[in-house]
Amino acid sequence: MVRLITHNLLACHVKGCTTNNFPLTFQDVQIELQEAEFNPEFVRNLLSRLDWAALVDAAKQVGDTSLPPEEPEMMDDDLLKKLHHVLLEIHVIEGAMTCPNCKHVYPISNGIPNMLLAEHEIG
Amino acid sequence: MQNITPTVVVNDPQSYEDRHVHTVYDQIATHFSSTRYKPWPIIAQFLSSLPDGWIGLDSGTGNGKYLPLPVDRPNSILTIGLDRSRNLLEIARYAGNESQSHHNIREVVWGDVLGDVWRSGIFDYAISIATIHHLASYERRKLAVQRLIQCVSPKHGRILIYVWAIEQDKLSKRKLPLDDQQVHQAGQDVFVPWVMSHPNTKNRAKKHGDTLISNSRESEGEQTLKITEVYHRYYHMFAKEELTQLVHDAARELGLCIGSFEGFSEQHSRGIDIVQESWERSNYFVELKCWQSSD
Ligand SMILES: [Zn+2]
Repeated sequence: MVRLITHNLLACHVKGCTTNNFPLTFQDVQIELQEAEFNPEFVRNLLSRLDWAALVDAAKQVGDTSLPPEEPEMMDDDLLKKLHHVLLEIHVIEGAMTCPNCKHVYPISNGIPNMLLAEHEIG
Repeated sequence: MQNITPTVVVNDPQSYEDRHVHTVYDQIATHFSSTRYKPWPIIAQFLSSLPDGWIGLDSGTGNGKYLPLPVDRPNSILTIGLDRSRNLLEIARYAGNESQSHHNIREVVWGDVLGDVWRSGIFDYAISIATIHHLASYERRKLAVQRLIQCVSPKHGRILIYVWAIEQDKLSKRKLPLDDQQVHQAGQDVFVPWVMSHPNTKNRAKKHGDTLISNSRESEGEQTLKITEVYHRYYHMFAKEELTQLVHDAARELGLCIGSFEGFSEQHSRGIDIVQESWERSNYFVELKCWQSSD
């Protein structure tokens, strides 16, 4: 599935596309919400790997505006729960992710993103 | 019984893999998956040893059997599965669930293990289990190792790689016709048959495997046709030391030191330490730890 945690790790890898190739932009998404077990320790430890701005933007693209635009210095339980929801409970089932730089479109179908490239696009 | 047969990779290794690896796995996905459900102990142990909140990549995840681990601490780490076979990923999405319920859907990505789809150094760990041996040239196998190194943290990234060994377990059902010095140094390219039997039903989709139709008599005396399909998967069977050498070559080309952090005193250096390497049940494996000296 493409959840926002995965989206936050992916970058465009088309030949020559090395700057401004992250984050990919969601388009025409269909989402499904599914409850996941809340593990505050997991979410807290995860934070250092995340790009906050990219996460806030992506959340907006899938219709969630619960996160503050700037990463707060202190993480309280309430915020960790919001993060948990945004990162792990929103599933993008259909749609696409587009590269902000080269505009390559990575389709998502049945919850699986297609990151394969044609031979001439591979660097 | 079907034997392993030596082969030689001709033409472009990528199209060779398309034909003899990717197409085959897409065809045999369901049957293959039904036989691959038991995690190997060393891999389970590796995943159990990781701290809460770590995220990792299973490059060549197949049916995703490692995605739900560790069993005793579910959801303490997150492993994302990547594979070239779309049909295997459809299975991997539900790995660890009794039925295709929506309880624990796994994160999977359709991609190539040689692709560079991740922000560099973003994962805490990466595993590559029974995957690199499907790449049809030394250069491609080396690049696969480099992709693993590049996607994990240069400071603390941990990597586990398993590949198929020339040295086969005595209990292995596979027969190996190979036994000379050459092979024991350079490894051997082979075809490994995958056999599927099923009753002859008329509306089956056309398959690419060799088809053998045999008559079998059931107890009632009724005659049915049984179809056996044989698919040949390409493997590079690794020689002893070959995996270690591959890791060394891959790391050196990336400008990394090889050895433990303590052995290097210069500043700004980066390296990988081989923390364990061994043979287990017809496979060689190696575990790596990345390190970076502080400025
Ligand atoms: Zn791009």
